[in-house]
Amino acid sequence: MKNLFRELIHYLDVTAHVIKMAVMTVIEYPSNIAGWLISNPLQFIMGFAIIKFVVESFGQINGWTYGQLAFLYGLSVISHALSMIFFVQGWFMGYYVIEGEFDRYLTRPLGVLYQFFFTNINIFGVTDLIPGILVFLYGCVKCGVSVNLTFLVQVMITLIGATLIRGGIYILLGSTSFYTRSAVDFGQYTQEIMDKTTMYPLSMYPESIQFILTYLIPVGWISFYPAASMLGTEGVRSGLTVSLVTLGVGIAVILIAGAFFNRGLKQYESAGN
Amino acid sequence: MIDVKNLSKDYVLKRKEPGLRGAIKGLFRPDHRIVPAVRDISFHIDPGEIVGFIGPNGAGKSTTIKMMSGILTPTGGSVLIAGRDITKHRKEVVRNIGVVFGQRSQLNWDLRLGESFELLKHIYQIRQEDYDRTLDEMDRILGIGEIIDKPVRQMSLGQRVKGDLVASMIHSPNVLFLDEPTIGLDVSAKYALRKFIKEINRVRKTTVILTTHDLGDIQELCERIIIINHGQIVEDGNLSQIVDRIAPYKTLVVEYYDEFAPEHDRCEMTEHKGNVARYRFMKKDLTAAEVIADLSKKKTIKDISIEEAGIDDIIKIAYES
Repeated sequence: MKNLFRELIHYLDVTAHVIKMAVMTVIEYPSNIAGWLISNPLQFIMGFAIIKFVVESFGQINGWTYGQLAFLYGLSVISHALSMIFFVQGWFMGYYVIEGEFDRYLTRPLGVLYQFFFTNINIFGVTDLIPGILVFLYGCVKCGVSVNLTFLVQVMITLIGATLIRGGIYILLGSTSFYTRSAVDFGQYTQEIMDKTTMYPLSMYPESIQFILTYLIPVGWISFYPAASMLGTEGVRSGLTVSLVTLGVGIAVILIAGAFFNRGLKQYESAGN
Repeated sequence: MIDVKNLSKDYVLKRKEPGLRGAIKGLFRPDHRIVPAVRDISFHIDPGEIVGFIGPNGAGKSTTIKMMSGILTPTGGSVLIAGRDITKHRKEVVRNIGVVFGQRSQLNWDLRLGESFELLKHIYQIRQEDYDRTLDEMDRILGIGEIIDKPVRQMSLGQRVKGDLVASMIHSPNVLFLDEPTIGLDVSAKYALRKFIKEINRVRKTTVILTTHDLGDIQELCERIIIINHGQIVEDGNLSQIVDRIAPYKTLVVEYYDEFAPEHDRCEMTEHKGNVARYRFMKKDLTAAEVIADLSKKKTIKDISIEEAGIDDIIKIAYES
């Protein structure tokens, strides 16, 4: 127990230092900040504008009103932003495998996955966070959500779970490179699929697809089920239950992904000089 | 310090047939072939030794050193560092090793060099006074004081390698692994690197394991060499003893005033071109002075030189075996 606590302090200390270095790196290239600050929020605001156009043309999407869609959309973008901050490196895992970049992590006394994600922490992801929060708050106001403690806890737990689900999926996809020994840039495709399945009501898809996205690739838990239960849009309100399921699914996905990664790492071949 | 027992590593190679047809065939019926890179090697390294691994490209040197430093998981056998298995207790054992891999850097490209050291200080949980002492010592050996505030991306290769050497020693490991550290370096950077290795070995008694293609590195640094070829140890031992055993001869190069060169009954004439002849003799049977004396009785000698069998001959012989 004492050792576990000491290890936790060690990881927290390194994390704090790594974030400090990430901020320093950002300051080193100030022109990048401006670019990211403009392009990233714009991307999501445009996406939201499209939803607004669709809703205004057709009234609703599958029974979800404009405010409810904003709530769902915002919730999805926030967990997307968090996963971009902590897990975006997973998109490039294949290159690390092929180029032998895991060598340095393996020779240091910390977990390899931890180092892989946290020494490459992407604080630019914050630029996605801002539009996410804005749209989410807008949705809250439109739907007349009462912001109390239960609601905040629900949102927090959901976001942690949702970020873990996204991160776990990136790890699972990235780890395939250990077996195929090729680098596939899956980032764009995954984001497309995740956007389409988490920013709109899942109930608008055929049941077979709903089944897949609930149990096999559990992206439904990222934002659809939590939002539906918080707003009661699908006829069920469930307090904390759905958020806790999201957290549970997130932990399960990340554990499975970690095991798959570690198994792959044993087959890691580095790269010749 | 290091015990390597029956260490093996197999790679799985996907064989691909040429053309579109081959590609499609490979897609449905992949042809996997297991290629042994390292086959059942064992050796022991004592604390404070400097050991050079040499061998041709693809012989298994890098694979061996990468298994010893915990990067690759062995197919069979074990690597013990200070009695602990590095594959089973990676996080604990790597606290005791430092690693510098030639063309690969562990430094943060965007920030000043000192920031990379600061990160390692946190990663290895080094106390401030130990950290300061190590950096002072490294500054004395390598003179890094002048580059510590420079962004790594602006450094020359030589400066970057210095930075990587210091980074590998920040946590004062007992064992240092260097995989082709002098590759691409100019003469002065090579000199600085060799001086560094000698110093940390002398002062800190650090055990050093390096692979290299540079004969100068070996002659300057290594008392012991391990020659690897086809994934197996061809030679393991004291450098000068190996030279004496594999190449127990010298070559006398004699230049005459014309093209006739006399034979010597206890030497082998290995070459005769124009006015120059080369006589190879066994060191234990003859001295160069005797050979010169015998030859000058037969014919007037214009000029002579003596060639020692060197490390490059050893390598050539070992590689061809």
